[in-house]
Amino acid sequence: MKRANSVRTLAICTAGIGTLLIFSGTLAAQGPNQPVPPPYNPYPPGILPSDIVSEIARVRGEVAVIENEALAQWHALPPPVLTGQPPTLQGTGQRANQLLGKIMNFDENMSPFKNRACGFCHMPYAGFSGPIPSVNLTMVAYPGSYEFRAGKRTSQRYTYAPNFPVLNFNKTQQAFFGGNFWDSRATGYLLGSPDAEQAQHPPVDTQEHALPDTACIAFRLSTAVYRPLFETVWGTGSLDIAFPPNTEQICDTPGGASIFGGSATPIQLTPADRTKANNVFDNWGNSLDQYEASPDVSAFSSKFDEYLAFLAGVTGATNPMTADELAGYKLFDGKGNCNSCHLDGKGTTSPQFQPDHSKTASAAPLFTCFGSANLGLPLNPRDAIYYQNKPDFFGFTANPDGFGFRDLGLGSFLRGVAAPNPNSDWTQFAPTSDGQMQTSTARNVAMVPPACGSTEAPGPYFQKGFFHNGYIKSLKQLVHFYNTRDVYPFNVTSGHCPAGTIEKVNCWPMPEVRNNMDMTVGKLGLTDKEEDQIVAFLETLTDGFTTPYPDIGTFTGTCTTCNPATDPNCSASRQGNGFLIPTPPLPPCGTDICGVPPVPSPPIP
Amino acid sequence: MYKRLMNPIIMAAIGCLLSSNAMVAQVSPTTPKTVRGQITEGPALESSKDNWAIITWTSNNPGGTEEHFGVVHYGTDPKSLTNTAKSHIRLNPSHSYTVFRVRLDDLKPGTTYYYTVGSMGSNGADDSIKSTIKQFTTTAEPERASRQ
Repeated sequence: MKRANSVRTLAICTAGIGTLLIFSGTLAAQGPNQPVPPPYNPYPPGILPSDIVSEIARVRGEVAVIENEALAQWHALPPPVLTGQPPTLQGTGQRANQLLGKIMNFDENMSPFKNRACGFCHMPYAGFSGPIPSVNLTMVAYPGSYEFRAGKRTSQRYTYAPNFPVLNFNKTQQAFFGGNFWDSRATGYLLGSPDAEQAQHPPVDTQEHALPDTACIAFRLSTAVYRPLFETVWGTGSLDIAFPPNTEQICDTPGGASIFGGSATPIQLTPADRTKANNVFDNWGNSLDQYEASPDVSAFSSKFDEYLAFLAGVTGATNPMTADELAGYKLFDGKGNCNSCHLDGKGTTSPQFQPDHSKTASAAPLFTCFGSANLGLPLNPRDAIYYQNKPDFFGFTANPDGFGFRDLGLGSFLRGVAAPNPNSDWTQFAPTSDGQMQTSTARNVAMVPPACGSTEAPGPYFQKGFFHNGYIKSLKQLVHFYNTRDVYPFNVTSGHCPAGTIEKVNCWPMPEVRNNMDMTVGKLGLTDKEEDQIVAFLETLTDGFTTPYPDIGTFTGTCTTCNPATDPNCSASRQGNGFLIPTPPLPPCGTDICGVPPVPSPPIP
Repeated sequence: MYKRLMNPIIMAAIGCLLSSNAMVAQVSPTTPKTVRGQITEGPALESSKDNWAIITWTSNNPGGTEEHFGVVHYGTDPKSLTNTAKSHIRLNPSHSYTVFRVRLDDLKPGTTYYYTVGSMGSNGADDSIKSTIKQFTTTAEPERASRQ
């Protein structure tokens, strides 16, 4: 968006010399001397939700509340004592590390415009996934620090993400397991934890926090009010780095800006200081991972966990399941066949295929096999990524392909397209991985602010987006998709279902990626009531039943309501259909995605 | 509609395994392989639309790797089934039967195809399914294909 009356001066950054960027605009400045860029808004009318500005402000307020709470928790914690050989933070060391992770998770300073924390896209009341209903309903990906750049996928839940193993290719199964992100690109190859590595991507993702250099994390930490806590956990002097005078200006400029000339390390540090900053960046990932692994996040406190305790004969445990929930559990394992991928952990005392009279194993099941699958989801034309094919004020274009972008998931990562691939032995498996996305843990898929009741219309409800591209808007639609993808297939894209059909009810548009489609699902033979029962079972996997879920009450927004009498889309089956838009004629898949060897086979149009 | 023997009591399966990197990994173990896969229903055409079709059959759970493939060899000449289609199926260790479904793409309209079916683990281990030659015919004209 250009402003005719703006005057700006741009100087090319050279090594060691600062860059001055002077703009005018209507965005609030971060401080008296901070420049303000014009917003990036390449979107046609109606793509950005109408309440985006107020909702951003709402979530930022919630983030600030949790940040202050976390700082108070730190101050109330007796300090650990570093002792022993090897030196260990005795007493409160683990808690100190978890709280450090929490404080960093909700620190808005970890972005160029000091307006985005990790928590902005991952709030507790949504299982630490996307907290803005109107975004979940429309653009799917969340606006980053430089508004309104946005990514291409839904924010995944933090809960149980630490349990995924380091990405590995299982030779027996001839398939990949582990990693974090929808495309498994946070492998864990260095830190031994994919979840810790995941925390290292958004800070320098141009569409998210958009810091231009990983050393900006150390830079921001060096002036943070909780610097003492960081140095308690990770060592005195770990933040003693000689940052050059232009570091503030660099870290206040979003990554991808053309002035950086493609450099990933514009901050000029000595090799020793660069190593220190890298170590701090690893520590950042480790502490965030430990917060996510803590009972504050991965709680195992769902109704289903109570049921498992009851089955195991734990004293005081009662059976909390309703008849429909139990019926849904049976279908989950039976006709629904969900537990073939969403493993739910079973007793092992009976031979294969024989009736099982054992107690269900009390091991806390994770409801995922840690693998990936292509479910054949249609392309979602509302996804923000398609519209970011024009350069922004900083000369950066997120997606030159426009609607030629196709999400190949794991395949794109294995080719090194989505992110660098640290294992060249894996690249050969890209064609058999195209379209595959991570099998999420089903836990907390239904977690919403308690006031909003559920994810399902007519509600009141909290609108979520499901799967990697947010195409599915309710759990009912989710189960219905698994059940009927191949019963109602149409050779159309979204928004073009034939007259007489209703998209997502009896019309499923064609898959975005046809290759490697999983055929375990698509025609399960479930009745409408059986679908509802599986939804009821999924809702028992929400934490906060056996013990309160921390920070579940931090939602300050408005639950969604609708009136079935006046709105034909006011039902879980048709939820979101009022916001369907026709997919435009699709250009071929961009060669930067589909032309990179080993190319997809068959070719992707 | 295909049938599957349902055990009314929840069946047992192997629980969690520890992965080699000390993180708790809930990877399905390999189910013991049966002697030979045996078809109990089908194979038959599940559906045919535009230029694709789905072939389905039910067999006993063949065991082997959880990551599995249904395989269809097909062609327009019953003596020359030179095309192969493979589709992902994930076995469920606690099910005594497995439904296989394979999608065939890029078919011609109004054409009779002949086929046999098989299945294999993702490691290539064949389930030794015995399948007679079947046939199906695609619809006469595809729906107006459009990416719009």
